Formats: sequence, C-alpha cells, structure tokens
Amino acid sequence: MKKIARRDKMKIYGDLLSILKAETSLTEKIVLVRIQTKLNVPFDRLKRYLSDLEELGLIEDQISFALTEKGKQYLAEYRTVLDFMERMGIAYR
Amino acid sequence: MEQIFLVAEETFSAVVCFILVWFLIKPYLVTREGRYLGLPLGFGILGATYALAAFAHSYPIFMDPDFSVNDLTWLQLIARPFAFAFLTFTYYFSKKPSKNTHLIWNVILSALLVAVTSLIILVFVAPNSAFGNYRFLSMYIRGFNIACLLYISIHTLRSHLKTQDSKTITTPLGYILLGISQYSLLVWLVDGSTKFPFYGGLVLRWAGLILFLIIAYRTFYGIPKKEL
Repeated sequence: MKKIARRDKMKIYGDLLSILKAETSLTEKIVLVRIQTKLNVPFDRLKRYLSDLEELGLIEDQISFALTEKGKQYLAEYRTVLDFMERMGIAYR
Repeated sequence: MEQIFLVAEETFSAVVCFILVWFLIKPYLVTREGRYLGLPLGFGILGATYALAAFAHSYPIFMDPDFSVNDLTWLQLIARPFAFAFLTFTYYFSKKPSKNTHLIWNVILSALLVAVTSLIILVFVAPNSAFGNYRFLSMYIRGFNIACLLYISIHTLRSHLKTQDSKTITTPLGYILLGISQYSLLVWLVDGSTKFPFYGGLVLRWAGLILFLIIAYRTFYGIPKKEL
C-alpha cells in the first residue's frame, strides 16, 4: 500500500462518499476491491465504514451503494468546506 | 468628525469579523477537530476588540462627554494579540497530523483562554497604571501582532506555492495587508508627526478583512464547480 498521511474518520467518510458517487455514476455494479484500492484502507475496515455510512443514512444500502439525499448534501457541504479551508491556506489531514 | 469616522471604521471592521466567524466555524462543524477552532476564535476576539474600540470612541460623542474610556481602550489593546495568537497557532497546527498534536493544541487553547480571561479581569480590577505606559505597551503589542501576521502570511504563501492555484493567493494577500496595517499603526505610534500612517493602516485593515469576506462569499455562494 502506498504511504499516505493518517486520516480521521470524517475525512475517510468524505473520501468514501466521493468515491462511491463517482463509481455509481460510472457503473451499476460496484466492485468493492476497487473502492478499497481507491480509499487505501484494509477490506474489513472498508466494510465497517460502509456499515457506518448506511447507519448514518448517507448511503441507501450495501448493494447499490447509492448516495441518499442526506449523503449528497453532506458530500456537497464537505467539499465546499474543504475548498474553503484550501483557500484559507489550511491543510486538512 | 474624526471621532465619527473612527466609530464607523471600528464598527465596520467588527461587523466584517463577526460575519467571518460564521463562515470560519464551518470547518470545525464539519471536521469536529478542535485545532480549527482557532480561526473563529481569532476573528471573534478581533471583532470584539473592534466593537470595544467603536464603543470607546462613540461613548463620549453620543452619551457622556466626561466618561473615561480608559478601561475599554486597555481591554481592546490587550485582547487583540490573543486574536492573532489563536490564528497563528491554528495555522501552525494545521500542517501537523491531528493524532500527534491534538493534546498540545488543547493545552495551548486552554492556556490562551485562561490568559485572555485573566487579563480582562485584571483590567477591571487593577488600576490602569499597573500596565505602565499605554503607548509603549501598544508598540510592543503591535510588534507581536506583526510577527504573528508575518508567520501566517509566509505559511499561506507557501501553501499557495504548493497548490499553484490562483484561488489561494487571496488569503496571503489578506494577511499581508493586515500585517502592513499593523506596521503602519506602529509607525504612527513611533513617529506621530502625521496622521497619514494611522488612516492608511485603517484602510489597509478594511481591505484585508474585505478580501477574507470575498473568499468566504465566493466559496459558499459562488458558482458551483463542475463535478469531475
């Protein structure tokens, strides 16, 4: 695995939602291994994060992995805030 | 006339700072990381000091001409460096992984809060003479503010050079303007023969704060980026 800086849960959720949104718009069948590679986390932890997202109501289920309205809203806000932090010269890691 | 201008200028600065706090709290609300609290705290304290200064300038005009505003003037003077200290520590810790530094940040945050509260109490309890000469203390404080703003400017400028994105140049520019504003006010304190550096400093402060407001407005209300 490539070495990346430690991320907190919020960042991982944000990254995972971004990846899921991109993947669901590209293909109907989501391959978890591809998500795992892109997110760069162990498989068991990926499963845990996906369960968390489902519990939080951010994704519909663990078959389609489609983002709910709440998930889309969270992702939009997350991206805006990240953009704001970047503009303000603050790194989020 | 000059007093009215100063009241308007300080009030405007305070309002801009409080609007900025509303935007700057968002990174903390989304990430829930304490190290991002320094930004809203910094601009919040800065706004409060401008509001105090506006009140200190307006009281003799609109209410009681004999009222002594010394306490308020002292208060805004000693609280302002804490605002810049909060901002500096936020930028310093933003480049460190939160896992390793969150304890140090919490200690610094608590220490700064205790220090600023103690000094505020001291202003009301102790006589003003306890602090010595206002003008000299003001010079040292401006020097400290300049050092903080210099660090933040360099930090944000380096971030901009790393990203090579035109949208990130506004922030260092804003902090540089605030730094030059503090320098201008320091020159006025040292020299004092002309009021040009004083008014120049105030105008530069406005310019810096407005730049931050533009950044926030463009990010949250600007045209949304096309999704990749």
